[in-house]
Order: sequence, then C-alpha cells, then structure tokens
Amino acid sequence: MVPLIFSWPVRWWVAVFPIEEILRKGSFVADEIEVYVTQGQSVSGDLKRTKITRAVESQYFGLSVRTIKDGRIGNSSSSNPGDWEKCLKASVASGKLATPQLWKGLPGPVPLDSRPIAYDPALIPEKNVLVDLLKGMIDGAASHPVEVTSGGAAISVQTLTLANSNGVYYTRPQGHVSASIETIRGNSTGYEFGNSYTLDLDPVSIGERAGFLAAASSGGVDISSGPCDVVLSPIAFAQLIGAVLIPALSGRNVHAGRSKLAHSMGLQVIDPELSVFDDPFLENGLSSTRWDAEGVLTRQISYIRHGILESFSYDLKTAYRYGHESTGSAVRTGHGGAPAIGNHNIVVEGPRRDIMDEKAVYVQDVVGAHTANPLSGDFSVELTNPFHISGGEYEKPVRKAMMSGNVFEMLGNTAGLGNDNRVIGSLVVPSIRLNKQHIIGI
Amino acid sequence: MDGISYYDIRHVTGQLTHIDIDNGVTESAGTSFFDHAVIRALSGKGWGILTIDNFAEKTDKEIKALIGNAGSISAITADEVSLADVKRGIRAVPSMHENPMDVGIEEKADLMLSIERAAKVEGVVNTRANYIERFEEVIFKDSSGAFEHYEICRNGFGIMAVASGNGALQMGYERRHSLRGLNIRHQQELGRSAGDRAVALLSAQPAKGGTMNAVLDPELAGVFAHEAVGHASEGDLIQEGNSVLAGRIGERIGNRIVTIADDPSLPEFGFEPCDAEGSRVERTEIVSRGVVAGFLHSRETLAAIGNGHTGNARAMPGEPPLVRMSNTFIEPGESSPEELIAECRNGILLKGSRGGQVDPGRGIFQFNAEYGYLIENGECTKMVRDVSLSGEILQTLHSIQLCADDQRMHQGYCGKGGQSVPVSDGAPHILLAGAVVGGRVSD
Repeated sequence: MVPLIFSWPVRWWVAVFPIEEILRKGSFVADEIEVYVTQGQSVSGDLKRTKITRAVESQYFGLSVRTIKDGRIGNSSSSNPGDWEKCLKASVASGKLATPQLWKGLPGPVPLDSRPIAYDPALIPEKNVLVDLLKGMIDGAASHPVEVTSGGAAISVQTLTLANSNGVYYTRPQGHVSASIETIRGNSTGYEFGNSYTLDLDPVSIGERAGFLAAASSGGVDISSGPCDVVLSPIAFAQLIGAVLIPALSGRNVHAGRSKLAHSMGLQVIDPELSVFDDPFLENGLSSTRWDAEGVLTRQISYIRHGILESFSYDLKTAYRYGHESTGSAVRTGHGGAPAIGNHNIVVEGPRRDIMDEKAVYVQDVVGAHTANPLSGDFSVELTNPFHISGGEYEKPVRKAMMSGNVFEMLGNTAGLGNDNRVIGSLVVPSIRLNKQHIIGI
Repeated sequence: MDGISYYDIRHVTGQLTHIDIDNGVTESAGTSFFDHAVIRALSGKGWGILTIDNFAEKTDKEIKALIGNAGSISAITADEVSLADVKRGIRAVPSMHENPMDVGIEEKADLMLSIERAAKVEGVVNTRANYIERFEEVIFKDSSGAFEHYEICRNGFGIMAVASGNGALQMGYERRHSLRGLNIRHQQELGRSAGDRAVALLSAQPAKGGTMNAVLDPELAGVFAHEAVGHASEGDLIQEGNSVLAGRIGERIGNRIVTIADDPSLPEFGFEPCDAEGSRVERTEIVSRGVVAGFLHSRETLAAIGNGHTGNARAMPGEPPLVRMSNTFIEPGESSPEELIAECRNGILLKGSRGGQVDPGRGIFQFNAEYGYLIENGECTKMVRDVSLSGEILQTLHSIQLCADDQRMHQGYCGKGGQSVPVSDGAPHILLAGAVVGGRVSD
C-alpha cells in the first residue's frame, strides 16, 4: 500500500483555519474585512515521448485578506496559514497607501442554491486515472504515422471559501481534469488538449487529433500573399478574441480610456449575427459559479447582442467608483490574490452552418496571439497547422503563412459560425469563417 | 526512504511587494508572502515529486516521511531517469547599490507617481505604472549532501501610456527590471518616452507585409535570439525530439558572424547563483560562429543527450525545475548601427518588443515589434506600427548579414510549462536579409 500524504476529503484546513478569528480581529482595525481561502491538491503526470517520466502530487493553500477603512482598500496574501496575523497587518498597511474611493460596502449574505455547478464529487486526484489518460492519448496518436514528443495529464480538486464581516460565508468545491499531447512528423507538429470538470475526456480522440494534425501537415505547399477566406478553429478564435475583445469589455479598461469600445454603448460593434455573453451557470463551464470572488451573486451578462454593445463587466470597486452596479464579474487575478474584473464562461453565439464546405484556409491555432495590440485590435500572427479546405475536406497543408488584421474589423465581417462548440479556458466558442483575411505567404 | 537513490528539496520563502497606479490613483499597493517547497525523489524509475505550501513549519521527521512519499509517487512512471554528474559551487549574488527592501513603500509609490506623471504628455489619455519587488530566500539540499542557501531581490517597473486621437487608441510602453538594487529613481525620462511614443503611433501607418530586409534594434534582436534559437536549444525539447536543432551539433545553421550564448552567471536579470538542482552556472555557447555548439541542460537532459553542461534547470517557487534560458544574447559585431541602416538600403527598422512565441519542433517562430520606421534609400523615414516578423529557425541565422557593435540587454519574463522566470535577452542591432514581415497591407 502506497502511503498517501493527503487525507480525503479535501477540506482538511477548514476545520482548523480560524476564519472567524481573522474576521473578528480585522473588525477592530478596519471598517470591513474579507477572507478568501483556497485549499486543494492535485496529481499530474508527464510524458517524454511515450514514457511517463514524472509524477507530481501537490498540496496547496492560499489565504487572501482584504480590508477596507475609510474607502481605502488594502490586501495581502500568504501561502502559510500560520501567517494570518502578519497578513492582516500587511493588508491594513496596504490600505493606507491606496487612494481612498467611494465605497458602499461588501455584500451581505443571501440564500444560495447550495448545489455546485459543473462539479463532480466523484472526481479525486488519483494517479492511476492519470495513467489511463496518458496511455489513451498515446494509443490515439499511434493511429497516425507520428512520434509523440510530450504530453501530460492532471487532476485537481480544491475548496474555495469566502467570508466577510457582513456575514457572508460561502464555500464551494471545484474540480478540474486536463490532458494534452504533442506529436511530430518530420518538422510538422501537432498538439491537442482537453479540459473538463469531470472525467469525461476521451483521451484516445485527443491523441488521434494530435496525431492527425502532425501527419496531415507534413509536405505543406507554399501559399502566396493576398486576401483569403479563412476558417479559424475554436482554439485560434479563442486566442484572438481573448487577447483583444475580452479586455475591451472590462469596465476598468473602459473608464480608464483603454478600451476601443468605450464610447460604443448601444452601437453595432460586431457582425449583427453574433452575440457575446457571460454565462456563469453553464453546466460544463470550467469557471461556473453562483457567487463571484467577492461574494456578489453572478448573473448572465449580455455584452453584445446581435452585434450591439449592451454591457461592460464590473467588480465592486470599479462599479462604486463609476456609479454602476457590479455585474458579479470579480475573479481572483489581482495582486496578492485580490479581486479584479474578469469573466466566468464567455460564450459566442449566432446562427450555425457548415462553414467548412466552401474553399478556405483552415487555421488550427496561431503563434503569437499575445502580441496583438489590445487597444487597437491589430494583430499579425503565424498560423499553426493551416490547411486548404474544400467540400468539408482538408485538401492540402500550407507550409508556412502569417495572417494580419484587426480583431474588431474581423468580427464585423464574418461569414458564419460552425456547428461545433468547445470549452477553452473561460471561453466557449465555435469555429468561425472570416471573409478575405490578409495572408502573408512566401 | 527505502529504495530512494536520490532526492532533493528546494524551499523558497519570500515576499512580493507591488504598487499599481492607474491615472494618478494608487489602485493597490502592498506586500504578500509565500512559502513553497518542492521535493523530488528517484527510486529506480522516473521522478516522484511533491510540491507543498507552508513547508517552513515541517519537522525533520515529517520531511523524511515526505521524501518517502515523493519516492512512492513515482510508482506510475515508466522510464528510469539518469542524472549527470554536477559541478558544485555557488556564485555570489551581485551587490545592490540600494536594497529596495530598505526603502519605504511610501517613497517607492512617490517615485512611481513621478514616472507616471512624466508619461502624461499632450495627447495621452491614460497612464498606468506598476512596480514589482520580489524577495526570495532559497535553500537547496540533496541526498549527496549538497546544501546551498542564498537570498536574492529583484525589482522593476513598467509604465504604459495610452494616446487617443481620431477614434484610434495607441500605446507606448517602457519597462526596466534589475537585481542590482532599487531601479525606479531618475526614471522619469522613460515615462516621457512611453507617452511620446503613444502619441507618435497615432499617426503611424500600418506596415506592409511581405519579404524585405529588416534591421532589428537590440531589444527586438534579443527576443529574436530567445525565440529563434534559445528555446530550440533547451535540452528537454531536444530529448523529446521536439526541436529542429536535435542532432545538429557541429552543423552550420548560420552566417559566420553569428554567435549566440546563454549565461546565467552574468550579473543580469536572468542571473542565478546556482541552478535549481544546485549546479554551478556558466556560459553555454549555443551557436558558435554560425555552427551549433551546445544545448542548455538539467542533470537529466545532459545525461540523456549530452553536448553542454548542467546549470540551466530553473523553477518558479513551488514548481519542479525545467530547462530554461537565463541571459541569452547575440555577440556584438564591428559595424555601427548607421552602417546597418545604410546597408539595408530599402526595408524596415523594427524597434521594441511586444513578445514572441516559437514552435521549436516545426522550427517556426514569431515575434512582434512595438513600432518601426521604413528604411528608404538607406535612411529612416515614416513611422509604422503593428509589425511582426516570422521565420524558420534553420534558415534565419543565414540571413543575418551584419551585427552592430552596440549590444544591450533587456529584461523580461519567459513562460514555459506554466512557469514564468526572469530572463534577459540581448543583442546589438542586426540586419536580416529577406525577413518575412507581417503587416496589414501588401504591395
């Protein structure tokens, strides 16, 4: 019997970690106090070629304390639960440096549906499941004449607890499974991955797709520069909108003059066939939740409906400052684990059709989406696994090409969404067909 | 600990201080704390690894049990990992002219506000300044009795200015990071530079895409060295068969004027006193006068594929080490930057970096310049914006025609396998013939 260092279930710290005491002590030094605790564990395994060469078990803890006094918001965090008094002191000190702002209070408690969304209580970080995932991907890749170069699988479970001095005390469990594999044939590479809240990934098909991409991309033809109709896979589409469109919807960027959409409320900003919304209640969403990172109830947010801009995202701080209401969009991505504006599951919707039928260049992924200009929307990226397609078939691989354009203009001139849908991080998107994109070939 | 042939423990504690200023408002500022440990063990198979938060309070008995557990985790691994012998020895952390931790955060916030104010030139609608300071105390020990201990403090800032005009938004950005001491005094000029560039970019034209001669400034040429050569030389990628440089030691892949090296012992931002396996750090020549000369290694990858030495295993606190670059640079040549512009004749000068990415197995890289100028008849003329460059690793070093004599290093962070580590990249101005430039219009 292999000794386990973790005792199940995962909430071993909850019993001993003195959240109430932090709230009580904090109330002497601040008007309001909030405590956010994450604790969890994970297992992961890594492939080098087709061998598992590394197995990792992790046990993690995070405490984040936020204090508010006279409109000054302070924050501190620690990975050591024994540090909580130091953390509380550092949070109060941090608040003294912050510029005071209009603050109307942390939320109070409300009755909540206690059933977690997109959570599978049967998911546990079990090493043997990793082996099945990794072997399944290797078997899948073997159906094509490729070599596996690397891969990995991971299972994590954690508990998030949020409590504040107004009586909020919410806890929710969260689980995540991921698997990915890389393949090569000659100098053609393939990569595929899967993510889910439960063990419903099909590792064989993940491996098959990675194998197909490397095998089918081999022997690519040159393409000449000029305008081309393009089909972006959900991955390539998510990369480009994640780098440009999503930041432009953040209330903080809007009011700071860092969003191209700042003055477009009520106007048509993208193709009238497209809608963009945040759905925190998606049953298969990786970021589904009923309450946001500062205890505000989440809601569906319609950012863009039929091409018309309807809403931006707000957390409490930005909402109070600019006279808006929080949209329940806080996530823990700020400094020291502080809340900041983010999103839960951003969905792009519109009429679906077969977009692979007519001739186009299909793009599996792009290299360098993060180098796009988030303000203007201009981008220029290298294409990964580009193919000429026709009649729904991959006809010929393209050896090397770049694509340049502007994300906002691109979204204004689309030629339909595909029949597929894919969860990619906090985005849920289909493939998309675009008219006359600028391709730079050889 | 029965059956465990090797173990090591890397324990990192420290604190992170930040200041975030947005349009004159101190959005947040303060300090957070961390305590992470990684325990790795080998027991006849692959690595068994435990990562643990809050390690400081563990007793010797608990640590012994954890090492045993790390060994048992490797039960699911299949491949036996061999480790190359390692040269020991720790280098002194470069001295600091002013320890950032001795300066109060109020004073730092004032200094950042002054940089931010300097960026507010006419036409600028938003400014944002960030200061980050990271102090780490690192203890490394392994089953052979190695024990290393050091403290290191890195700090730096970024200033972004956004300009607006005619319905368009553009940004200018400057950043400086250092491990040589507090780096935010007398930096207002960089604030102004970010502001001026944001405004100037409003009237810049989009670049034309296509194949052309290009001059890269030292910052962008450093990113070029990092993306085009550095990643593909990482031993783990070579071992996996996921790099076009695999099996090419001794092969000419570039012009004789091109030498590219990585050196974690240099007192630059990617410095390490010893690597994350307690190995001595030293220079690796990756490309020597155009010929592939060596790869970057951990103990595992050196034992598996050879050609180089250990010293490039690096890790974020709480993460297992990976093979990483440190300070990566193209050696300077003898020309002046002006000679490169004249020699280019017609093409493009690319400046600043918005980052890059590489697919090392396919051998294709991409990176993006913040801005540039057209070169017409050997002179810089109109400003252009949003220019990126892509290329093929095995061809691109042949296209370096000239290296200038003005090598400079720039600091940044490099991401791989979910980990971000401090690095510096450096180069002189370089002239590339027939570069593939991505722009929004074509001839």
